[in-house]
Amino acid sequence: MGSNLRTYIARRLLLVIPTLIGVTLLIFAVTQLFDPVQRASLYIRDPKNLRAIDEVIRKYGLDQPFYIQYFSWLSQLLEGNLGWSQSLHMRVIDALVTRAPATIELAMYAAPLTIILGIRLGKLSAVKKDTWVDHFTRAFAIIGWSLPAFWLGIVLLAFFYGGLGIFSPGRLSPWAEALIRSGEFKVYTGLYTIDSILNLNAAVFLDALSHLVLPVTTLTIIDVALIMRIMRSSMLEQLGKTYIIAARARGLDEKTVVDKHATKNALIPVITISGLLTAGMLSGMVITETIFEFKGVGYFAAHAATQLDIPAVLGFALLTGIIFVIANLIVDLLYAYVDPRIRLG
Amino acid sequence: MNSMLDNAEKLRVKDLIVRFYTYEGIVKAVEKANLNLIKGETLGIVGETGSGKSVTALTIMALTPPPGKVEGGSILFQRATGEVVDILKLNEAVLLKIRGKEISMIFQEPNAALDPLYTVGDQIAEALLTHRRAEMLEAARELEAVESRGLWKILKNIPYFRERFKEKLLKKAAQKEIIELLRLMEIPDPERIINAYPHELSGGMQQRIVIAIALACSPAVLLADEPTTNLDVTVQAQILDLIRRLKERFKTSVIYITHDMGVIAELSDRVAVMYAGNVVEVAPTREIFKNPLHPYTKALLDSIPRPGSPFKSIPGIVPNLVNPPSGCRFHPRCSYVMDRCIEGTPPLIEVSKGHYVACFLHGGA
Amino acid sequence: MRLIDSESPRIKELKFIWKRLRSSPLSLAGLAIIIFFTLIAIFAPVLAPPRGGRDPYMMPRFGFSPTPRPPSPEAIFGTTEGQYDLYYGIIWGTRTAYRIGLLVVLASALVGIVIGSIAGYYKGVIDEVLMRITDIFLAFPSLILAMAFVVAFGRSLDSVTLALIIVSWPSYARLIRGEVLKVTAEDFVEAAKAVGCSDFRVIVKHVLPNTIFPLLVMASLDIGSIVLTAAALSFLGLGAPTGYSDWGQIISLSRNWITGAPGNPFAYWHTYIIPGVFLFLFVMGWNLLGDALRDALDPMMRRR
Repeated sequence: MGSNLRTYIARRLLLVIPTLIGVTLLIFAVTQLFDPVQRASLYIRDPKNLRAIDEVIRKYGLDQPFYIQYFSWLSQLLEGNLGWSQSLHMRVIDALVTRAPATIELAMYAAPLTIILGIRLGKLSAVKKDTWVDHFTRAFAIIGWSLPAFWLGIVLLAFFYGGLGIFSPGRLSPWAEALIRSGEFKVYTGLYTIDSILNLNAAVFLDALSHLVLPVTTLTIIDVALIMRIMRSSMLEQLGKTYIIAARARGLDEKTVVDKHATKNALIPVITISGLLTAGMLSGMVITETIFEFKGVGYFAAHAATQLDIPAVLGFALLTGIIFVIANLIVDLLYAYVDPRIRLG
Repeated sequence: MNSMLDNAEKLRVKDLIVRFYTYEGIVKAVEKANLNLIKGETLGIVGETGSGKSVTALTIMALTPPPGKVEGGSILFQRATGEVVDILKLNEAVLLKIRGKEISMIFQEPNAALDPLYTVGDQIAEALLTHRRAEMLEAARELEAVESRGLWKILKNIPYFRERFKEKLLKKAAQKEIIELLRLMEIPDPERIINAYPHELSGGMQQRIVIAIALACSPAVLLADEPTTNLDVTVQAQILDLIRRLKERFKTSVIYITHDMGVIAELSDRVAVMYAGNVVEVAPTREIFKNPLHPYTKALLDSIPRPGSPFKSIPGIVPNLVNPPSGCRFHPRCSYVMDRCIEGTPPLIEVSKGHYVACFLHGGA
Repeated sequence: MRLIDSESPRIKELKFIWKRLRSSPLSLAGLAIIIFFTLIAIFAPVLAPPRGGRDPYMMPRFGFSPTPRPPSPEAIFGTTEGQYDLYYGIIWGTRTAYRIGLLVVLASALVGIVIGSIAGYYKGVIDEVLMRITDIFLAFPSLILAMAFVVAFGRSLDSVTLALIIVSWPSYARLIRGEVLKVTAEDFVEAAKAVGCSDFRVIVKHVLPNTIFPLLVMASLDIGSIVLTAAALSFLGLGAPTGYSDWGQIISLSRNWITGAPGNPFAYWHTYIIPGVFLFLFVMGWNLLGDALRDALDPMMRRR
């Protein structure tokens, strides 16, 4: 490992810390927009404490100047206390943890699909620039990018579920849910497609899969445009470079030039944009889970927001901020590994 | 000039027309250019930016960059078999056999000419494995006995791994050849360099790699597009030297493009002067320096800075090639301009033995 | 042949961009769509006259029954759940969309310009600090951060507008800062400073005009996504109140009716298809224009 890489990694890791602190600061700033009574629910783990509001206020110094409050809030945070969610009647941290698997399952299918499809389409439209293939894929991208995610979900539901009676909302059909509740089906990860494989239960597997089709399709259509656009412009940029002309001058056939040289170089900015994709997916989750009644963290957040459930919404926002920062970190490190100019210095 | 090659000629560009279709208009980059390359010589092409020299070189390999299009003319080339072909009429399959094997090119920015994601060894191997594959397969076969040990002894029988094993052998076989090549390029420590990435090497080293790739398959013609312009002066001298020696060894004919008259004087046997897409003068080097006929050539030679004398530049600016000047494209800047020069374009005619000029001052009206 | 161009370079640039825009069918389509919606927004009171006395943005109702009714002569797009006049909502919804879109883009661009130019011009510690702050805002997905602010400010379209401004300015600040850094590297800025122009003057008169074009591209691409996010927030129930002429809110009224009636699954298609199509077209129009502008300004794409 070149020393350049080591410094790069070290610097990158070090940069994460102030950003994470900044993320907490921003969320904390939002909490300051509420009065002390409202903020009290951010600190308690047990609804019974809500009755002794004054005591809570005094205990966590909610009427003290904000720098004192920040540290007491932060220390609660580090203990895992994100407050009490009134709309769900449970601790925020518990709500997030129990609902995370659903969202992870969605992301597990949607993200790779979006990235792979986006890369394929972007490459195709760049290589066949200005032909009907190019125009068609670009039109598809613009349409996907302009489609309101919630509307697409509704239309798909109306057509498939309303019209054809397939792909119902929710994660599982009622019979599968009953099966899980009865205890005959062991839940290992909370991701039903995986658990059903571990339980060797094909019926549940297919059921879970069929419930994933529409939400994953919705998420993919919306976000594929982003990847496609970056890949296309990245490919076009590479195809204009001297080393590509040099490669052709060596007598390499066009396929080798495109696949071996241009594509590999073009993928580098796409790696970077994948970090941004996480942000897009997280927002998309909120809407998609709501429409398809897919009970993940997004569904929970949207529901909490309409109930003005402050700790729930802020807890969710904080979580997404952290996820995004970590995703970007991973992406940056990956990028450093892939590009020899950084890896070896 | 007729449509066949003389015995001594290797390559001839005849009445070449290349136009670029851009949003700002149609750029008439090369307008009826004529030149030829004699076997074994170094032909220097000199001209300012925008003279069309790079476009001509790329077109010789049928690699005109888009949005450029060849609109007329022919490029006759004598292949290794002796057959004479028109490059502009060949299909891609044949062109792939010529590029890198019979005609090669080296570029101005060595860093830009190499793929940053592959080691220089890999990139040289690419050239070798594309054109000298049979040779490499032979060498690989010889290595098979030695390399079939350990895990590979079993794995090599499984189809997927057979391919990988073959690749491994080919790579090893190529390696020997590559190290030889690198030594020929006078690159120190080739065993280490072979695994280096382009960005790890200096400009001079990178250019040697580019040259190595170009000469890996012993091409008959080498197109050098300002290969030393971006290098330090000392490195420049080394590279020029190297090119000269390699040319001797491989018996390559070289077309050397530059805007530096000093390099021309040192390296080339004959010189072609290009201006705004036209070839305006062609002559043996000595002759051109002693007796430049075209006003542009004269101005070029005059503008070479000499200690003691004031800077002389050519008045006017490089013409806009979307709306080029009518008639002779140099006429707005020419001190000898006549009415005829605005009306018609002077053809390239032989004025004395081997000395061609396109100027109404010397006939052709 | 003229050796010196007498036209100011900026006018030439504008003419060139207009020519490029005219030549592409996609950008013409975008322009046509935008003009269409702009006309609707301007002539809303004429196309759908408000029934006197109330807030013109509240949709009039043809009764109170929950079941939406299909298009009829008196309600040409039909009614939504609760008998709101869909046609009225769509027409005035155009105004709502423009109000939010333009307000958010203008305000965030302004904030972004101020912060970005200070950061890019003064560089050093100021730049570091401001960019860290920008990074923190950009570390959140915009919809989710906007949600947090809306919960804080209370459910209303104004909260949504404010929340979106807070969430959008960082991108503009980044862009302007980058452009300012590029421009201040040029010598003419040094020259202006040497002549004694105040910093403010240098920024406003010399640096900023050169950043206009990328800003316009970002703004036109942004309007679409702002309107989408605002519609999403209204859809979730966090923005416009029920019965308000807002496309997102109107679509949310259709949620219970997408499975249709027994025997006729698409009985209530008008409640979600019509407002959705309008929203989609609006956003696509701006995206097409923004894309075309971006292509027109991209030096690499200045070829056929």
